[in-house]
Amino acid sequence: MPAPNPSSNSPLGRVVDFPTKRAAAVASEGATVFHRVTDEPAGHVDNWGRDAGLFRTVTMLSEIRWSVSTGGDQRLPNRKGALIVVNARRFALAAVYSAFAISRAVDRPVRFVGRPDGGPVGALAQRLGGLLDHPDEVAGALRAGELVVCSASATTRPRDVGTIDHALIGAAIRSNVDVFPAATTSSPFGRRARIEIGDATRQRQRRRGPLAEVELADHVADDLTLLLTEMGDMTTGTPLDWLPLSGLGGN
Amino acid sequence: MAGRRVFVSGVGGELGTLVANLLEDEPWVGSLSGIDADPPRRRLQRTTFHRISPDDHDTIVDTVTKFNPHVLVHVGVWEPDARAAPRVAAALTDQAAVSVLGAAAECRALDSIIVRSGIEIYGRGPGSLTRPDEDAPLRPTSEWGRTVADIERTAANVAERVGVTVGAVRLASVLGPHVPSPLGRLLRQPVVPFHATSDPPFAVIEHRDAARAIVAAARNQLSSPVNVVAPGAITCLHAIRRGQRIPLPLFGPQWWFARQLSHITGAPIPDHVSEALTRGRLADNGRMQALLGMTPDTSTTEVIDHLYRWPRVIRKQARVHAAEQITPDEVSA
Repeated sequence: MPAPNPSSNSPLGRVVDFPTKRAAAVASEGATVFHRVTDEPAGHVDNWGRDAGLFRTVTMLSEIRWSVSTGGDQRLPNRKGALIVVNARRFALAAVYSAFAISRAVDRPVRFVGRPDGGPVGALAQRLGGLLDHPDEVAGALRAGELVVCSASATTRPRDVGTIDHALIGAAIRSNVDVFPAATTSSPFGRRARIEIGDATRQRQRRRGPLAEVELADHVADDLTLLLTEMGDMTTGTPLDWLPLSGLGGN
Repeated sequence: MAGRRVFVSGVGGELGTLVANLLEDEPWVGSLSGIDADPPRRRLQRTTFHRISPDDHDTIVDTVTKFNPHVLVHVGVWEPDARAAPRVAAALTDQAAVSVLGAAAECRALDSIIVRSGIEIYGRGPGSLTRPDEDAPLRPTSEWGRTVADIERTAANVAERVGVTVGAVRLASVLGPHVPSPLGRLLRQPVVPFHATSDPPFAVIEHRDAARAIVAAARNQLSSPVNVVAPGAITCLHAIRRGQRIPLPLFGPQWWFARQLSHITGAPIPDHVSEALTRGRLADNGRMQALLGMTPDTSTTEVIDHLYRWPRVIRKQARVHAAEQITPDEVSA
């Protein structure tokens, strides 16, 4: 549909000239949608408020703290949305560094669940791709084809998997996207961290009601435990590793 | 489908005039009529315009029922501090909604109502979704949000009573040349305040895309709400940088002083704009394509770029030959 040029016929158009043609030409180029993180210009803010320039700076700075190796990212869909569930150690910010690392691996924006609503921290987290811990918010992102990382509740033992919020799993079921378990290991004293993404967890029985999300959350927890067992523990290379219940291994 | 009668309320505003302009080109539109308190901003070829005050209920009812429209497009809303102070704007919007929608309910031929609404209807209270879709709960937290919620409620009541469909086009802040917008006015100030600790993202929509969406809603007989938001988002500081304005960082209570100062300098900041700049304002536009068959041409960043590219009025030479020009002597004679 051609853009209307109101100034061409009206008497007002004879004395006042608006740049309608130029504006229409610019508009016809269409809105740019960036599918790759590396294509985003510095000043770009996406639909969810993620600031590309700030994200790039913070992920670069995060490499001072974490050196993350990511495996299994080829299992994630290229375009479609997916929910990635990670295990979390207390104070480890597992969802945040996982989102950064997976984003770098797949060159797509990856959101993380659990930003505070309000305050400078909430605003900063939103600019880095944070979402509120709300099923509708997660469902909206998944429907929009986003990769979303959420974490199980934090534990003190690295091989334990905390409770997974079944409401968030329900958001994935409603949005008709896959749920991937991703095992994470990190150390409070070292930089090395690892993320291993497993195969998508499927519902083993078709359920029509809310039982589907509860069962799927349990299956994801089982798959996460298995992945953690296969990965082994994170070690510091010091006698600390020999101590049980240290949060660093020793199992 | 062809030969349908379409009635546009608020046809005198920039958006209403643009909607009427686009409707005139639609093949399915037979006759077109519109009312407003102000005359249209551009020449309308096929539209019959009636200049009626929103509080003149009897004349509005007479005009609407005589026209007996198939489709009512209600864009007669006054955004606070756009063309009227918040209280006046709320009163005018309420009067227009009651008069026009009430009159439409008396029309036998009516089968579709389209109302202009806003994404402010979702509110930005604690725990509100970052990017609400059309199913999100309506918890308006600003005067403008409550106003558009009232319009939707009134339209829904009328539609239910007379058995017609009602579609609400929930627009982001509409910006465009000569569109009176408190947000656009604020961003074009030489010094622009922004929230230093949060500076949240917000989205807007260009007036042409907004008008296209309303026309598409009328064409498709929209029967549900739809968010109409340009893709992407921008923060106030990014906008300031793009417009090469002077940023004024504010913390907490300083915002109140900035609002008062901005009001004095001619760019009042109503509560919904203040909320957008302190809490952000985004909405999910994923259903636009399915419900309206269109997507916005212009992204939020481009709309902001256009905002800063609008020139002031350019005066052109009169198109009269020098020989025909009247000299001052002739004028005095």
